[in-house]
Parts: sequence; structure tokens; C-alpha cells
Amino acid sequence: MTHTLPTRPPHAPPGRRPPAEGRPASARRRGLGGLAARIVLLAVVDALAVYGLLALAADRSWWMFGALLVGTVAVNIVYATKRHVPAKYLAPGIALLLVYQVYVVLYTGVAALTNYGDGHNSDKPDAVAAILAHSETRVPDSPVRPASVVARGDRLGLLVTGPDRSVRLGWPGHPLEPVEQPVRDPAGRAVAAPGWRPLTYSQIAGRQQEISALRVPVTGDPNSGSLRTADGISAAAYRSTLAYDRAADTITDRVRGVVYRPTSDGVFAAPDGSRLSPGWKVFVGADNFRRILTEEDIRGPFLGVLVWTFFFAGVSVALPFGIGLLLATVLNGKRLRGHRIYRSLIMLPYAFPAFLAALVWQGMLNTDYGYVNVSLLDGAHIPWLTDPWLARLSVLAVNVWISFPYMFLICTGALQAIPAEVTEAARIDGAGRWQVLRHIRLPLLLTAVTPMLIATFAFNFNNFNVIYMLTGGGPKDPDAPIEVGSTDLLISLVYKLAFGGSNRQYGMACAVSILIFVVVAAISVIGLRRSRAFEEQT
Amino acid sequence: MIRWFVRIGWRHLIGVLAVLVAVFPLVFVLSASLNPSGTLTGSNELFADATGTHYRELFDDPLHPFGKWFVNSMVVGLATAIGSVFLGACAGYAFSRFRFRGRKAGLTTLLLVQMFPQLLAYVALFLLLSTFDDVFPAIGLGSRLGLVMIYLGGALGVNTYLMKGFFDTVPRDLDEAARIDGASHAQVFFRIVLPLVAPVLAVVALLSFVATLNDFVIASLVLNDPDKQTLAVGLYHFISYGVGRNWGVFAAGVLIAAVPVLVLFQFLQRFIVGGLTAGAVKS
Amino acid sequence: MRSRLLLPAVLAATLLATACGGGGDGGDKNAAPAASGPAAATGSLTVWADDARAKPLQDIAAAFTRDKGVKVKVVQKGLGEIRDDFVSQAPTGQGPDVVVGPHDWLGKLVHNGVLAPLELGDRAAAFSPVALEAMRYEGRTYGLPYALDSIALLRNTELAPQAPASFAELLATGRRLVEEGKAKLPVAVPVDAKSGSPYHLYPLQTSFGCRVFGNKPDGAYDPTKLELDSPDCLRFAPWLRELGKDGVLSTSLTADIATDAFLKGRTPFLLAGPWDAATFKAAHVPFAVDPVPGADTAPARPFVGVQGFFVGAKSANPILAQDFVLNYLSTPQAQRALYDTGGRVPATTAVLDQVANDPMVAGFARAAQAGVPTPNLPAMDSVWADWGLTQLAIVQGRGDPAELTTAMAGRIRAKIAAG
Repeated sequence: MTHTLPTRPPHAPPGRRPPAEGRPASARRRGLGGLAARIVLLAVVDALAVYGLLALAADRSWWMFGALLVGTVAVNIVYATKRHVPAKYLAPGIALLLVYQVYVVLYTGVAALTNYGDGHNSDKPDAVAAILAHSETRVPDSPVRPASVVARGDRLGLLVTGPDRSVRLGWPGHPLEPVEQPVRDPAGRAVAAPGWRPLTYSQIAGRQQEISALRVPVTGDPNSGSLRTADGISAAAYRSTLAYDRAADTITDRVRGVVYRPTSDGVFAAPDGSRLSPGWKVFVGADNFRRILTEEDIRGPFLGVLVWTFFFAGVSVALPFGIGLLLATVLNGKRLRGHRIYRSLIMLPYAFPAFLAALVWQGMLNTDYGYVNVSLLDGAHIPWLTDPWLARLSVLAVNVWISFPYMFLICTGALQAIPAEVTEAARIDGAGRWQVLRHIRLPLLLTAVTPMLIATFAFNFNNFNVIYMLTGGGPKDPDAPIEVGSTDLLISLVYKLAFGGSNRQYGMACAVSILIFVVVAAISVIGLRRSRAFEEQT
Repeated sequence: MIRWFVRIGWRHLIGVLAVLVAVFPLVFVLSASLNPSGTLTGSNELFADATGTHYRELFDDPLHPFGKWFVNSMVVGLATAIGSVFLGACAGYAFSRFRFRGRKAGLTTLLLVQMFPQLLAYVALFLLLSTFDDVFPAIGLGSRLGLVMIYLGGALGVNTYLMKGFFDTVPRDLDEAARIDGASHAQVFFRIVLPLVAPVLAVVALLSFVATLNDFVIASLVLNDPDKQTLAVGLYHFISYGVGRNWGVFAAGVLIAAVPVLVLFQFLQRFIVGGLTAGAVKS
Repeated sequence: MRSRLLLPAVLAATLLATACGGGGDGGDKNAAPAASGPAAATGSLTVWADDARAKPLQDIAAAFTRDKGVKVKVVQKGLGEIRDDFVSQAPTGQGPDVVVGPHDWLGKLVHNGVLAPLELGDRAAAFSPVALEAMRYEGRTYGLPYALDSIALLRNTELAPQAPASFAELLATGRRLVEEGKAKLPVAVPVDAKSGSPYHLYPLQTSFGCRVFGNKPDGAYDPTKLELDSPDCLRFAPWLRELGKDGVLSTSLTADIATDAFLKGRTPFLLAGPWDAATFKAAHVPFAVDPVPGADTAPARPFVGVQGFFVGAKSANPILAQDFVLNYLSTPQAQRALYDTGGRVPATTAVLDQVANDPMVAGFARAAQAGVPTPNLPAMDSVWADWGLTQLAIVQGRGDPAELTTAMAGRIRAKIAAG
């Protein structure tokens, strides 16, 4: 592509870096090496992709198969041809973004349409298995006997040794019958019978699912139960009250004669209204969204929390940014001795995990024993974290403490990016220090950091950790219908929905997350539009 | 004296004040790390009783391989920092220098995707990684590389914006001239533009290093072998509730963990503060 | 053209660098089966345990590996994450085979179908009846118990040589010591400022006859019989308010501060569990452990948590997991090893007999004997939250104690009914 440019006489403007010596030759050499590297790399990527495609096909993970196929084709198109130059720069990052972040968003979107949560934790086969396992109870007063798993061909059987050294053998459909001349281990336990070979431990380990499912009728009478082994070396008789009919997709309670049928909300229910636990995940359409918008418990506190969330996020951006900018400006001068030490020490809070900082502050702000009240305020009893308004103030103050070093770092970096010539030119034109800051440095700085500020706003909008560690959302009004406190953000509301009640409502929490996302995204888009971040430089 | 204060001294005053505010709460952490009682905020008598046992405990407990956690954190943190800088710089350059369809929308989308509340992401990520486990175990559950990949999934977004903004301040005549000299776009990128934006590279590197070092949620989801865990995950064992919390050892560990961040900051300060060459003139 | 070659090259270098950085991840996996030798059985077990249990488990697992050739990977996780991560990861089949935790997780775990029932068989005879009862849910046993823990009264024997017979006597002794200047607090009851402490206060509450749930005919808790607003509970609430008013109970006395106060001899009494006691032993605080004395006429019954092992329903190695839990973790040696590092009251009577001469264990054992199992109903999560918040409000005097209590019971009932 570079060769297609019209050749113009080279002119190196003064002050610009001289071109690297011997560029054309070395570039061509590097070109060949690069070509080889690119071919090798693409080959490696494609080889990995083919391997992955085969493995995914074997795994029947067709969604992933499709995604990988499309991705591989796209990578080949981007890097094997001369076109799509911007895509060459963007592809690696976008690929990772799609795999790890967009996927999460999509997954959340799908989960928001389901009733995933406590009691609906897995798919239907798992639920049926759990229901049946739970209904299988040991036959009262039946003994646990030493047992061995034995095999004839592919068939598995159980060899049971009685207390009187009597040995009986049975297999699915064939009740236990006495065995003559069994092979015994030193402890007297039968391990093999004529025609039946013993299974070694590693053979047992290799057929665990089969052995777990193995049921051997004790007698011809179903009421005597079936033998089952849990650990491969002992067996006991169990009876199940429930039976699953695969063809009819019903579960029948044989004792009570009740038939349970699957319902649209993912449980087996009987005509009398009784239900079997657990249920399974099903799509419920927009039910979760409908509930958020109509249920008083959720809608009620929503508005108050929304206002506080905006305020918290706004102040958590503005204040640290102001402090960070001030410090960055003040400590910027090269003439200031020790500016490097100042900078390093101010960075300290940033080097510590935020949750630890929140916990330390929680201790320091304790009403009766905290350092702030006891030592700094000479024994005052100010309820920093237990009074609604003081708690809001404290949460904000701590969050400012946590975030100002970050803003300081950003501002220090961004201030450096403003060419000194620009400000010098203004100074020569007679502008004062304040005017330079106000009219030249600040606008330039804001242009550079606005996306950062918007991202910080979004981060604080969802700053679950600080709230959770410091106040847990409290102080709470014990009489409120749902457990919402004065410092709760929308995201901690999500947490309480997802995990707080007696029911983990993951699907519902996903739906709220999506609504939060829509709100934050809308604000951010407006913010970006209004900022100058989109103004093109050319 | 007054003139000194007006010119320089007040800066020292603000600096000292800021340092006091920044450092004071951390004194509690230091005190807890030396106090044998094992509480974090149980007492306001700082440094009443100092011992080094917690620090010793950190290094001779085979069940808590602190040294390995430290190395893991450095490896994961540095790999993520380098990867983030690279991916972010590439994307920022593309958005700054090329005009293509979907550019504006793409830039906005990058930022928006990162704003998605991640509180519930752990279920989705676990499912993804457990599938990888069957196909590409190198980036599946329990793999540090897998963890780095997740972090790199978030490398675009804000970083891209920040870098694009800086690339925009580098005059285009610079690359055009180089192109005329026969340099390719990649050579322009690596040899001319990147060195000019060293400060932002350093900032992004530091930001992603610290974010990686402090991440607990995703790291504890991915890394379950004590020998492969990072500092945040490993140290958390000391204070996981229900079993007598050992704040002393935890505080000692956190203090040591903060050292690399400070060292890296010291090292990068040069680039962040003094790294701009005289090249970029026009805006 | 040549320009485009650089990017992939650098990308490759970066990928290689990261791959080296995270090196060995892929390799370990492939190397694992080969390393365990020719006698190796297929399959390996993953056990999730919190920090305190990981060490003894590793030793027991080593014996299992030696005997059966099965690798056991003990994964340390925070106790706070084990339950919820297990619930969300088990359905994928990639969850752990065995987890360690308290019995009050059972409701939630069974309700989500992630646990396999356990058949203890004759082994059951070795365990104390309370421990076995706690591991049952809806008539089936789901866990192998190994330890019990409950709140007890820790007493500084230098400040208070005599064990108080009642909570009133305890307060009198404490107040006298405070007046004499020998102590700062009459008693330290840790209160979490965010969530209250119904767990610590339960022995006092039950001494008023106030229980959280009534029982079903078979002795299990009945979620439809919430008793938190019974007449006895309405007597307990004002008493709690009095303690708050007198400053005996303070919502700013966190566990950290309470522990520190007892450690430094600033309070003669502390309500605490066995996990805290180890700290005091190490610091040579002279203390004794007794059951918490009652404040009213009924017996004081703390909640008893029973620690145990559970097997995942979708474990890829059901037989190995059951074999490990039933035949290795149940042995007296294993139970003893778990006691040695945890210091909790052993759930097997044989091990308890071995260690009963340790006054600390004996004290906690007596406390546990007086107790009742923490309810393992799935509904408990919402009960704890409302219960604790209301206690905070009562102690701080934010409303009429009886009214707060009645309102709380109404909310909890509504939540349980909503399921």
C-alpha cells in the first residue's frame, strides 16, 4: 500500500527525528521476516481454531462452534489481505471484548428472560434426578452389607456378603440369589463369583455413573426395595416412592397415587396444587421486567434509590476530580522540591484494596469507639454511619478518599499532554496564570478526560463494594416493606434481589441490571454528545 | 520568606495536607500488621504492642504460599498491564488515525459495554470458562492465562478513549511526513507515535496493573489452586468470616502487596510526568 | 505491504510472553494422570474447604490418594463464597465433588437440587444425636458431621473467678468490676452494626421462651410456625431495649472491639464462639468457658452449628466422593485430625471423650449440648436479615420494642409465604 503513494521528493522538516538508518533495506528484510511471522502466526491461529472446532463439535457446543468459525474466518480475512487496515489494529481487542464482555451482556440478557434462581437452578433432567434421589429412602431396619461390584460382559451386578458369610448375587431385573463358591478377599468379603469377574478400583472409578445408577431388586416383591451402592464397597436396600415416566413426562407418587405434571413455570405439580422440589429453569418471557415495573415492593423504593445513586455517582466523580486536578496542578512544578515524594505518598490509598480501606474507615467512624470520634473529636458520639444523612455524607467522604489518587494520577498524566508551547504562547500574549488555566489548560484537559469521567461515573453508579463494606446499604428503616437503607445504590438493590431474600432470584436481578444499564448508557450517550469528545480534530 | 511561601511554600502546605489525609487511615493497617491481637480496628492505641510475627507467618506457612501469590500477582498484573496497553494503543490509534464506517458508533459502544453492571457476571464467566476447560484448557478454569484473557477482554473501552485523545494531540503532519519517507502505517505507529504518547501508556499500564492486583471476584472464580492464586484471593483466606479472622497477617500481606504498586509508580513517574518529547507542537 | 507484518509479529510476541507468564497451566492438567503412577484410578476429586479445614483435609486426602490412587484437590475458598458458588457451579458438572460447611446451608442446597443424599449406615452410631439430626433435611441425611459450634460465655477468671448462675448475676459482677475500675465494660456482646446479632443473643432470647420457629411432629423446624412475636418474645423485646438503654448492649461494639476488650482484660465476660477462643489461648488470657446463663426462667439455648461434609449431586465421581466422605472422613483418626486444627467440639462421641479433659472444649461442648440446631430452612436468609435489623432498632430505641417485633414477624411471614 505504501508503494502506491505518489512519490514526492523526501523532505525531512527540521526538528523531526531522522529516519532510522538504512531504512529501505532493513525494512525490506523485516518485511520478509514479518511476512513469514505473519504466515506462521495465522497458521498457528488456524490450527488452534481447527482443533477447537473439532473439539467443540465433539462436545456438541454448537453455539461456540459457530462463534469460533465466524471469528476464525474474520481473522483470516483481516490479516491475510491488504485491506481492512483499521481492523488489523482493532481485531485482537475486539475479539477479546466479544468473548469476555459482550458475551456476559448477552448471557445476562438471556438469563433476564428466565426464572433462574433458587428452586430453578438447573435443567429439567437434573431436577428429575434430584427429585428421584430425594424420594429414595432406605428400607426401614434393612442392614448395610459389604458388597462388591462385579461384571459379566458389559453387565454389572452386586455381590453381597451376609453376616453369616453367605453370599448372594443379583443384577438389574434379577433379584438376589445365593452364590456357591464365591471368591473372597482376606476379610471374608466376596469379590467375585463364577462367571462374574471383580472390578478393580480403577474400573469402578471409570464406570461410576453406571454403578451409581445400578439397582438390584432384593426379592421379587418390589416393596422389599432395591439394593444400591453409594461407595462401591457396601450396599443397602432402598425404596422410592416416586417414579418418572419418560414417555408421558410425569412423575407418579406410587404411595399416594398422585401424578405430577410439568408446568410452564418449571416445576412438577399435582392437580391438588402440591409441587415437587427442585424445579428447573424455564423461559418466562418479559415476566421479570413486568414484575419490576408493576410490583410495589420493587417499584416503591426505586425512585428514592435512583436519585441517591445519581447524586452519589455525580459527587464521586466531581469531588475527587476537583481535588485530583488541584493537587496535580499544585504539585506539577519541577521547582517544587520533593514533588516525587508527594506524588508517591498521595498514590498510597490507590495501592490498597478499596474494600480494606472501607473496612478501616468503618472502624474509624464507629460511634463510640472509632478514632475519629474518640481521638480527633475528643470523645464525641457522632453517629457517622448510623444516622441516615451522616451515613450518606460518610459514604461519600470515604469514596472521595478512595478515588482522589486515581483522579490525581489521571490529571497529572493529562496535564503533561498539553504542549507547553500552547500555554507559553498564551502567557506571552499576556494571559495570567488563572486565565491560562481557565481558558486553555482546563478545556484541553477536559477534552482528554471526559470519557474517563463518564466511565468513573458509570463505575460509581454501580459501586457496590464501598457501600456494602461500609454501611451494607444502611442505616435501614426496620419498618420499610423491603430491606432498603439510606445509602443503598441501585446495584445493591440488585444484590438484595439476587441474594438477599429467602429466594435467590437471579433472573430477576439480571432484568434489573439490564434496566440499570439502559439508564446509565442513556446518560452516558447524552454526556458524550454534549462533551467535545466527539469533535473531530480535522 | 513570604515571597517563598507565595511562590512555593503554599504548594508544600497543600502537599503535606494531602499526604496526611491519604496516609493516615493506612497507619491503622500498619499498626494491625504489627499488633499481635489480630484485630483491625479493635483498638485506637496504635503501635501499642509491636511484633513481626505476622510478617514471619506470611513466609513460613506452606498452606498459604504467600511468595507464590506474590509472583502470580506480578505475572498476571504485568501481563495484563502490557496487554492492555498494547490492545488499547492499537485501538486508540485506529480510532484516531483512520476513518472507517461505524467509527463513532464503535467508539461509543466500546465505552458502553464496559458500563454494564458486572455484579452478576460471575455465572456467565464460569460457564464460559468451564466450556473452555474441555476445549482449550490453557485458558480455562484454574489458569492464570485464562484470567489474563478475561482482564484483557476489558482492555478496550475507557483505555481506548484515553489513548485516542492523546493520539489526537500528536500532529498528523508527523506521520504523513514519515509515510512519505516510506514508512508503513505500522512503522509510524510503533516508531513515531507510540513514543510520543509514553505518558498515557504509563498511566494505562499503572491503572490496569492496580485494577488487576486488587481484583478479587473474578480471580477467585478462576483460580482455585492455592499455588496459582493471586494476592487478593490468597490474602482473603485470612479474613474469610466464620473462622477467627486474622487481620494481622492480612494487613501484613496487604502492605507487602502495595510495594510493587509503589515501585511501579516510581518507575513510571518518569514517563507520566517527564516523558513528553518536544515533538508534539500543534494541537 | 510490509507494514502489516509488524502487527501480527508483535501480537505473537505478546501472546507468547503472556503464555510464558501464565506458563504451566495447561501442562499441569495433562501431567496429572501420568504422575500418579500405574496404579492410578481414573478420576480425581475436588474438595472445597475454607482456610481452617484445608490443612487436615489435605492429610486425610493424602491417605486416600495412597490407598486408592485417586487425586484429591483441596481448594481453599472463603466460607462466604462456598455455598453460593456451589449452587451456581454444580449444575454445570464442573462444581466440586465435596464441600465443607455448616448444616444450615442444607435447605438452600437441597432446594436447588445440588446435594446427593448420604447413607451413613452403621457409622451413624459414632456421632452425637444432635449432629446427626442437624444433617437431616426433609427426612433424608445429606451430610457427614464432624464438629459442633455454638456461642458460649467466655469469662476472665482473674476478674470473675465464679461462673455466674444467671445473666442478672453476670451483669451484677460486671457492673461491680466497672465501678471498682477493674474493667471498662460489664460484658461484651459483639453486635454487627449492619446486621445485628440474633445469633449471639439467641441464648438470652430462648431463656425467655422465645424461639424462632416451632417444631413439626418429627422435631424438625416448621417454617409455617414462626414464633418471633409470641408473648415470650414480646417480653424479651423490652428487656433488650433496657440493656441498650443501660449501655450494656451497644450497636457500636463490633466483634473486633469486643475481642480486643476481652484480650486486654477490659471486660470480664464475652459471648463468643470457639473460633475466637484460640486467639485468647494464644495470648495467655486466663479464661474459662461456660454455657451462656439464662436471663429468664426458661433454659438458655444457643444455636448449634454442625460442620460437615456434603457430596454434590452432579459430581462426576459419585462413587469416589462417597467413598472418601463415608470411609475416610468418618474415621476416628480423620475426625481427630479435624479437631486438632479446628478446636471445635468433635461430633463423634469417641473423639469428644478423648479431648473432654480440655476445659475449653468441655465448656463449648456443654454449651452445644444445651443448644438447638440453627434452622436449615431455605427461608432463614430472609429471617436473619429482618430479625437482625429489628434487634438493632430495638437496642437503639428507634420505636416501641413490641411494635417493632410484631411488625418484623409480619414481614418475615409474608416473605416465607412468597417463598
